[in-house]
Amino acid sequence: MAKYSMIAGTGSYFPKKILSNKDLEKLVETSDEWITSRTGIKERHIAGDEKTSEMAFNASINALEMAKLPQTDIDGVICASVTQDTILPSLSCMLQDKLSIGGKSFAFDVEAACTGFIYACSIADAMIKTGMANNILVVGVEKLSAYVDWDDRSTCVLFGDGAGAAVISAADKPGFRSFNLSADGKYKDLLTIENLGINYLADLSNRKKEDNYIKMKGNDVFKVAVKAMSDYTVLAIKNSGLASCEIDYFIPHQANLRIIDAAAKRAHIAKEKVIITLDKYGNTSAASIPTALDLFIRNGTIKKGCNIVSSAFGGGLTWGAMVYTI
Amino acid sequence: MPGYSKIIGTGSYFPEKILSNKDLEKLANTSDEWITSRTGIKERRIAENETTSEMSYKAAIKALEMAEIGADDLDGIICASLSQDTIMPSMACLLQDKFGIGGKTFAFDLIAACSGFLYACAVADSMIKTGLGKKLLVIGAERMSPALDWNDRNTCILFGDGAGAAVIASSDTPGFRSFYMRAHGGYGDFLAFPSLGSNYFANIDTWDLKTNMIHMKGNELFKIAVKSMAEAADIAVKESGLSYEDIDCFVPHQANLRIIDAAAKRIKIDKEKVMITLDKYGNTSAASIPTTLDDAVRRGKIKKGDNVVSAAFGGGLTWASTCFTF
Repeated sequence: MAKYSMIAGTGSYFPKKILSNKDLEKLVETSDEWITSRTGIKERHIAGDEKTSEMAFNASINALEMAKLPQTDIDGVICASVTQDTILPSLSCMLQDKLSIGGKSFAFDVEAACTGFIYACSIADAMIKTGMANNILVVGVEKLSAYVDWDDRSTCVLFGDGAGAAVISAADKPGFRSFNLSADGKYKDLLTIENLGINYLADLSNRKKEDNYIKMKGNDVFKVAVKAMSDYTVLAIKNSGLASCEIDYFIPHQANLRIIDAAAKRAHIAKEKVIITLDKYGNTSAASIPTALDLFIRNGTIKKGCNIVSSAFGGGLTWGAMVYTI
Repeated sequence: MPGYSKIIGTGSYFPEKILSNKDLEKLANTSDEWITSRTGIKERRIAENETTSEMSYKAAIKALEMAEIGADDLDGIICASLSQDTIMPSMACLLQDKFGIGGKTFAFDLIAACSGFLYACAVADSMIKTGLGKKLLVIGAERMSPALDWNDRNTCILFGDGAGAAVIASSDTPGFRSFYMRAHGGYGDFLAFPSLGSNYFANIDTWDLKTNMIHMKGNELFKIAVKSMAEAADIAVKESGLSYEDIDCFVPHQANLRIIDAAAKRIKIDKEKVMITLDKYGNTSAASIPTTLDDAVRRGKIKKGDNVVSAAFGGGLTWASTCFTF
C-alpha cells in the first residue's frame, strides 16, 4: 500500500471564445471599471457548443502528457462538477469513454460545487492510500455559462467555463499532506441553481425560467467565504506538519479578488504568494484551482518541491483546504 | 488510524403511495402478467410531493437509531443519487441542514447511478481508514418517478422511489473486507437520462423533454449486467479472504429478478441466500442495496457476524461489489 499520493501531472483547457468586460457592457448595464474594481475579473472564456465532457477530455490529455502516463494506467476517474453533460451517464463515465479506457477503471462524479476539486483530491488520496487505485485522474470542470442569466448584471459578469485535470499517483513521499473539509447546509440558499435537479422535473409546470439560472446572495457569501477560506487555510497548514513560512504559494478558489485578498490577509499569507487567474478566466467553480495550478506550473512559477496551500468555498455551502507538495 | 470500517446501523424509507402493476395497466399498454414474468416486480412506491432529501432524512434517522448515535456524532455525509433535489446545493448539504449539524461535517454527493451506494461505501471506507472521519452517514436515495415517461412501457414499469441509509464507523474488526469498482463509458447509452444536466440547459429552447426521459436498451443491458455483477461478486468474495461457504447472504442491486437469478446462478449462491425486495419496490437505483440490506437486517435474515456479498450495476455503465461482515 502506498504511504502517500502526489500530483504527477496537471492540465487545463479553456474554450476559445473570450468574453471581455467591454463585451459585457453591450449585453447588460455594467462597465469594465465596475466589474474590475468589485471582482478583479477582466474577461472569461465561454464554451458555446463545446460540452463539459469535451473540455474535461482536453484538460486530461494535457495532464496525462505531463505525468508521462499512458491513459491505460489510469485505474480511477473522478470528476468534480455541477455542470456535467448529464448525471446519467456521469461525466466521469463519458470521460472514461473518450479516453478509451472503458472497463479498466472506476468512474464517478463528486458534487461539492466550487470545493469539488479539493473534495475529489481528498477522496483520491484516501483511495490510493488504501490500495483501491494507483493512478487516479481527478478533473474539476464547469460549463456555468449554461446556467447564467445574461440579463442579470450581478451574476453574468462573474462566471466562466473551463477544465482542469490532475493525475494523482501513489508515491513514497508526500504529496498531499493535509485535507480539511467542511460544509454548512444552513447556507443552502446563498448560492444555488434551483432548476438543476429532480425537483424541477417533478414540478415542471410551476417552475420559472429565472430559476434556470445561478443565483447568489453576494454579500452573505462574501462574509462566510472569507472566514471559511482563511480559517481552513490556517487549519490545513497546521495539520500539514509544515510551518507557515514553508508554504511557497496559496492557490485559492478564484471567485472574487476581494474575497481572496481578505482571506489571504486573515490567514497571514503574503500577497506575493497568492496565485491569481480570475482576471482572465473569471470564476470557473470546481475548475478554478486545478487550472490555476496548471497555468503556474507551465509558466515556471511553481516548481518541483514547492509547498502549496489551496482553499475553496462554494454552493451548499461547502468549503475545504489542502496542503500539498508538487 | 483504524484498521477497518463497518456498518453499525441501517435505515430505509419508502413513500406511502403504492403503484401496482394493475394501476400501470391503466397508464401504459402492459399487463400484470407481462411485468411480473419479465421483471419480478409487482408494485413500486411513488413520491408524490416528497423530495429525495426528505426521504433521505427519514431513512437516516432510522440508521442513526440503530447505530445508537446522534447526528452530531457524524463527521461526514455522502449521498449517492442521480435524482437529488438539486445539484447545487447538494443533497448531502440539504440533509446536513435537516439534522442541524451545519459546519460540523463534510458533505458531498456521489454520482455513479445504481452502483452509487457501493461506490460511496468504498469511498467512506477509505476516508475512515485514512483518518478523514470516524463516523460517516452514507445514503442511497432516488426519486426516479419524475424522470420517467409514463407512456413508455419499457421503462415506467421498472423504477420506484425510496431511500436507504447506513452509518459506517471505524472499527478494530472487519467490517468491509473487499471492494471492486468498474465503469465502462462506452455503454453510456444503454441506460441514460439526457434531460438532467448542462446539455439540457444549454439547449433548453429547442429541447424535446418528452422524448428525452430515462431510456434503456434492455437486452444489451441484461447481458452486461449478469456478467458484470457475477464477476464483481466473485472478485469481492475472493479478495475478502472468505470462501463461498462463509457467505451467509447475497444482497444484489434490485433491477430485475431474471438478472439477479442469472447472476446468483453463475456464482453458485443458493437461492435462499439471495435477498429480494424488488417485488414490492421495483428498481430504486442507488437506494436498492441499502433498503434491501435494511429489510434483511430488520427481518432477522442478516444477523451480527453474518458475511454478506453485495453487487450492483447501473447507468454509465458502472458496476461494483463488496464483501463485508455485518
